[in-house]
Amino acid sequence: MRKEAVDLYQKLTNEWNKKPQNFEKCLEYLTQLKIILSETGFIPTPGSPIDKREIHLARDVFEIGAQCSIAVGDIHGFERYISQLKTFYFDFQNEISESPFKYQLIGLNLLCLLARNRLSEFHTELELLNPHLIQTNIYIRHPVSLEQYLMEGSYNKVFLSKGNVPSPSYNYFMDILLKTIREEIASCMEGAYKKILFREAGHMLYFKKEEELVEFAKERKWVMASDNYFYFQQKQTDQENQNIPSNELVMQMIEYARELEIIV
Amino acid sequence: MKVEEKKPETSQKDLKDAKEVKEVKDSDTLTFDDVKENVKSIEKGIQQKENRFLIRVMRTIFSIRKRLNDPILKRVINNYYTSQNAQVDKEFLLSFIDTQSSVAPMDTDEAYPKPELVPQSTTKSKSLLPEVDLYIHLLVLVFAIDRQKNNQGIDLAEKIVEKIMSQNRRTLDIIAARCYFFYTRIYEIVGKLDQIRFFLHSRLRTSVLRNDYEGTAVLINCLLRSYLHYNLYDQALKLVSKVTFPLHASNNEWARYLFYYGRIKAIQLEYTEAHKNLIQALRKAPQNEAVGFKQTVQKFAIVVELLLGEIPDKAIFRNPQLKKALQPYFQLTQAVRAGSLAKFNEVLDKFGEKFMKENTWTLIIRLRHNVIKTGVKIISLSYSKISLENIANKLHLDSAVDAEFIVAKAVRDGVIEANIDHEGGYVQTKDLTDVYSTLDPMKVFNQRIKFCLELRNQSVKAMRFPPKKYSEELETAEERRAREEEELEYAKEMADEDDDGFP
Repeated sequence: MRKEAVDLYQKLTNEWNKKPQNFEKCLEYLTQLKIILSETGFIPTPGSPIDKREIHLARDVFEIGAQCSIAVGDIHGFERYISQLKTFYFDFQNEISESPFKYQLIGLNLLCLLARNRLSEFHTELELLNPHLIQTNIYIRHPVSLEQYLMEGSYNKVFLSKGNVPSPSYNYFMDILLKTIREEIASCMEGAYKKILFREAGHMLYFKKEEELVEFAKERKWVMASDNYFYFQQKQTDQENQNIPSNELVMQMIEYARELEIIV
Repeated sequence: MKVEEKKPETSQKDLKDAKEVKEVKDSDTLTFDDVKENVKSIEKGIQQKENRFLIRVMRTIFSIRKRLNDPILKRVINNYYTSQNAQVDKEFLLSFIDTQSSVAPMDTDEAYPKPELVPQSTTKSKSLLPEVDLYIHLLVLVFAIDRQKNNQGIDLAEKIVEKIMSQNRRTLDIIAARCYFFYTRIYEIVGKLDQIRFFLHSRLRTSVLRNDYEGTAVLINCLLRSYLHYNLYDQALKLVSKVTFPLHASNNEWARYLFYYGRIKAIQLEYTEAHKNLIQALRKAPQNEAVGFKQTVQKFAIVVELLLGEIPDKAIFRNPQLKKALQPYFQLTQAVRAGSLAKFNEVLDKFGEKFMKENTWTLIIRLRHNVIKTGVKIISLSYSKISLENIANKLHLDSAVDAEFIVAKAVRDGVIEANIDHEGGYVQTKDLTDVYSTLDPMKVFNQRIKFCLELRNQSVKAMRFPPKKYSEELETAEERRAREEEELEYAKEMADEDDDGFP
């Protein structure tokens, strides 16, 4: 293992453990470290002997990197770190000791996928984990139950769970998630309500200030009547049904004819 | 993971009764003759360059497997490994055979008049064909798997693979494909499936380049199995998107592939696609055998169907082959159909461990919101106006606020037609529109027609024709008799050996 890597790593951990952290400096160290690591080939290839110290160091660097990029709001950076970390978490499971940050970061990744509405990847990641762990580990259970609330439509529970995140780093993605959910609720309200009082709408959307709601209503083009109600236009479904979708029908018939021709 | 392979009855048990010895001897001789016949078939196949014969030999592996025992193998090995330079192989193969327990009593009974000596003269001068060599190795490997000689078996499997790699003969492909299958199988048994991935990938590249369709199919399935065994759906999906599964692969390989593909799609929330693939896998699977495979596929198919919001046909659960295995899934279906969260949770509690073992658990917990949806739907059908408080009670939700959001979402998703009155705190359902005035019946009808057409096209594709028949001259009467005889035999084989031993 190269000496400068160790030195840089020392500096990085010192900087990272300081309160408050200087993110710019951390990022600078990280970039340098990454260059050194890629030169030495930080991920061992099959057949070559495994240097445990080296792997540990590389893993710790990536963990700090992942947390650092969340702190500065760099989602793409975070995803890159996570995909590198997955090698250490899963492929080297048996060679090295488990990191204390492992589940926190996996949970964060799950939340990230959820917040960005990439559900199929969310479930693919989830499959890698042991079912018992999903139920018991607080870091994992949080995003998993969030997904369940989302699917059911218990949006209020999502808002409530903002209060008890397992780690402060989860807040960043929670905020993104809440924004998406607000849009969801709004579209549900449009469909399910004929009218709703201004104050109640604010309640349902979990706005604390009136101005926020006014702004939000403007974006969604909600019109407030003089009696302080929002009125929603019900979708005109009946009209659609009366038109015969001739194009579609013709296409279908031609297809049947073609298939029949093949058979006969 | 799936239903384990049937263990053949041990020969010791057969030997207990002295009267049965003679029968045992007869059946042993029969099996031995079958093996001999197969070796001849292999030779014929190589001479005529007809894969058909080799495929047939491979099909018989599973019927022979059930009858294999120590003396038979010993005879086979002694019979074929006669030349000087084959002695190393002979010694090696013989080391797998338990000469202590089963041959010893035989010798005392004088039931075997040293059969090894009889046919030697015919094969002595010839050196062994690599195909035959491999075939016998394969038989011994299968035998080792059945006798749970796992660590020794791995050595043998490695040796077989080495032999395959050292040869470059197209006639070897069919046998090699089977070898890969058992190679993977034995690594799976000892739990080292992840270690051979690299090797399988390199073989896959070679077989694709050599246009070895059977090998490609088997290797793709082995790889998928290895990925799914460790829940690496991401990698499995990437593999599937990069390779094309060979069209000419046998039905059994297709069935496996479709099953794996269906599972990947189910995890990725593409239920329609998943369902289509799983159902096809069921269709391609052998009709009367491979019960374990069918049970597993059916389990996934049921869960996926539930996730699609449909209720599986009750007849599935009544099928005598599947009835017992599907019992938990039947209860699950009932819970979803009734829209009762309490019952759903009960089933989850009761069978949770089982579901986890069968890898359906993560899919099943996704059903929760389907249960709630059904519940909401049932309520909206039976009440024209109901308070949110009551809905929360009926569905066992925590609060009326929960109920309000859930109903709102149901309305938006088109599950029910209703309005919520926020101040009054109640839900007012709209009058049901006549379904037949909408386009829905047309859509459903279209879907069914499409399904039937697809089914027909698939069955046409699945038909098998003998290759190169079109270019043949008209046959003489003698040839025809020979052919008819062969076909009859073939049909008989098909009937009782439809089993490919789906492990």
